[in-house]
Amino acid sequence: MADAARQPRIDVRAYTEVEKVEGFVGNFKVTLREKAKYVIADRCNGCGDCAQACPIEVPNSFEMDLAPRKAIYIPMSQSVPLIYSIDLDACIHCYKCVEACGALEAIDFSQEDKLVEEDIGAIIVATGFSHFDPSVMEEYGYGRFPNVITSMEMERLNNSAGPTAGDLIRPSDHKIPQKLAFINCVGSRDKRYNPSCSNFCCMYSIKNAVLLKQMDPEVDITIYYIDIRTPSKGYEEFYNRARDMGIHFTQGRPSMITEDKETHNLFVHSEDIGLGHVIEEEYDMVMLNQAAIPQPDQDHMSSVLNVAQSPGGWFMEYHPKLRPMDSPTDGVFFAGACQGPKDIPASVAQGSAASSRAGRILHSEEWEIEPTVAVVWPDRCSATTKGRACGLCAKACPYGAINILSPETPAEIITAKCHGCGGCVAECPDNAITQLHFTDAQILAQMRAVLASKPEEKIIAFRCHWCSYGGADLAGTSHFEYTANERGLRVMCSARLDTDFIFEAFRLGAGAVLYSGCHPQDCHYITGQLLGAKRAKRLEKIFSRMDMTEGRFRIAWISAAEGDKYARVLNEMQTVLDNIPPEELKAEIDRLKPEMSKRLKRFPGVPDVSEAMEYSDALTKVINELKEAA
Amino acid sequence: MRHPSTTQTFADKVKAIPGGEHLELCYSCGTCVSKCMIQQKLEPDFNPRRLLRMVMMDMKEEAFTGPTTWMCSECDLCYEACPQEIHISGVITAVKKIAVDHGRKTLLKTAVVDQQTCVACGLCVESCPYEAIKLVQKKVPYRGQVQVAQVDPGLCMACGLCSAVCRSTSIGVSDEFTDKELMEDLWNWLQPQEVMI
Repeated sequence: MADAARQPRIDVRAYTEVEKVEGFVGNFKVTLREKAKYVIADRCNGCGDCAQACPIEVPNSFEMDLAPRKAIYIPMSQSVPLIYSIDLDACIHCYKCVEACGALEAIDFSQEDKLVEEDIGAIIVATGFSHFDPSVMEEYGYGRFPNVITSMEMERLNNSAGPTAGDLIRPSDHKIPQKLAFINCVGSRDKRYNPSCSNFCCMYSIKNAVLLKQMDPEVDITIYYIDIRTPSKGYEEFYNRARDMGIHFTQGRPSMITEDKETHNLFVHSEDIGLGHVIEEEYDMVMLNQAAIPQPDQDHMSSVLNVAQSPGGWFMEYHPKLRPMDSPTDGVFFAGACQGPKDIPASVAQGSAASSRAGRILHSEEWEIEPTVAVVWPDRCSATTKGRACGLCAKACPYGAINILSPETPAEIITAKCHGCGGCVAECPDNAITQLHFTDAQILAQMRAVLASKPEEKIIAFRCHWCSYGGADLAGTSHFEYTANERGLRVMCSARLDTDFIFEAFRLGAGAVLYSGCHPQDCHYITGQLLGAKRAKRLEKIFSRMDMTEGRFRIAWISAAEGDKYARVLNEMQTVLDNIPPEELKAEIDRLKPEMSKRLKRFPGVPDVSEAMEYSDALTKVINELKEAA
Repeated sequence: MRHPSTTQTFADKVKAIPGGEHLELCYSCGTCVSKCMIQQKLEPDFNPRRLLRMVMMDMKEEAFTGPTTWMCSECDLCYEACPQEIHISGVITAVKKIAVDHGRKTLLKTAVVDQQTCVACGLCVESCPYEAIKLVQKKVPYRGQVQVAQVDPGLCMACGLCSAVCRSTSIGVSDEFTDKELMEDLWNWLQPQEVMI
């Protein structure tokens, strides 16, 4: 850390919060709040005379409240940069620090928070994680029993720079404990609090046990676990070493801890799975290995940075396997546990990857993006035609890439921010937005070709590129048989699926239509699936009001790993079609045809293929113009 | 395309009964066992974790003959403690139901109705926490076709609530816990004790 501060091209801003992030990849405008330290940074030399003079002591949160700190303080002895700051909530304004500072005159009580705006090319988020508070689990008695401590408290008690100078003592009587129990998975792998595994705690508790055992081989340590997870290189060897040293491992999750009122010794009640009966052991001290949870302000940060969160609350990566350090927003990267609980080697690897990814942006003149972006036709936008922008596209965009500066100006798409889900295209009621490579004309042409003959036998399956298309692929490669009447059409996201596509498919006489996409948490366009799902639900209602046979229109969320589900859904749809007598199906299609054409908004004239070609030509012209302008 | 297996395993059967659905989420942490009061105070062999394992491993016979299937009082202490939120007593009840369907009898001494005196008032039906009592039309010796209470021995947990609410002393837990025997015990205790001098 000290090296980072010394490097002239690294600017460390301590005690500073990110207020606002605007702009896009390579051109971010970031507003920072530099909080008032009440100490002038340029003058403070970190001598610490002020802290010695300060008469006020408050709990030190870095030491897990086990030791005091002064009202003028540095968070820890290795703080970078080494500049003191005053905790005004604790300060009594005696000005002893001002006296102690003397000729340096570094203390300035008139300081206020400063807002600074900076031009930033790329952002790396490394906000880390927080700890689960075990006091909500009453059965373990943390907070009630003095000798039940958390893993972070153990870390400070065991640290030579900590409050006890490295002597592990019992909080109740300051004696050195001889018999200890470590309990793993406190709050993790527990559906009541935090269903996921916290990744590093097995190794962490083994590390603590080995450290204690090295200091005093006589100490008796038992680790209570559900499963010991040591999956990385050298980890299993370390686990074996711990067993070899005589550390006890008991499989069984304790249900309860009770305390002896006199001695403050603790009784751990657990089943020993190996023995198959319940054991109750007495210990001097118990350490609870808390779960890793997202930072308390993770939600706030995710809205400031416009990045999504995974179900557990962690920041969501662009792709879990191929791009784990990228956020869905271009130019924002993740390093370390803010993206999910991980240990030090993994955090270092991700940090290095994120910085090289960011360097790629800073070193390039131009930035390539996916070609499937959306383009606005300003002459068709309601701002031009009706004098009032409807704003539906801006509302639909998961990336905030659409700007409507005033109600009279047509919508503008910031191409660098657009990821090409096509949500705005489908939402636009005036047909004023087109997605390149997925134009209405192209999709229409595909639909016409597919439904050219015997349309009533065909099942049109709209699949999203990332999930259901992959699911269909997997069904094929895994040899899951499904109906040969399926005809798949690919779009980037289910958000692109215009209601008109479905109406047109039924108008052309399709037997059944599948509306498929990612599961909501898997969507590659943050909230694209939600947009598609809302539209699909609306369509379902419309069709049931039209008295269409149930099952002819089907919604299914299928991930790329669910090839079996894709095959099953298609086969179920085929069964629905098989159960309708052909003449009845024909009658239903004919009955609904006028209804469908009445509802078509996008293709009022229903252009022919030749017209669609013209439309494509016009589009090519627009693209060329855009290129020239750039 | 893979076909679903035609034979239903024990676990499939348990999962098909409402309450037994989440059986296979169990990762054998043993919290339920060390939480259980029946295990601690009454029957050391009572082990819900092992019963769940037996169901998963298709060990029907062992599950039906063990005490866990029959002795759970559905206090749900384990349900509150289970990190996988499995409704363990629901699974045990499902196993018990299958055992009863297989003609197995409970290890407990369950409540018995005296059909001669039962007036089918329904108080016991309302009081039963396990919904083990029903009113049925039945041919009873000396009384003909009448309505009487009937206990499902598969569901009865022998708590004795029915016996306490019955106004005609027609229902009771057999052998040592009928009203008559309890009254006799009480009477004996109330007698002045002979003091040895």
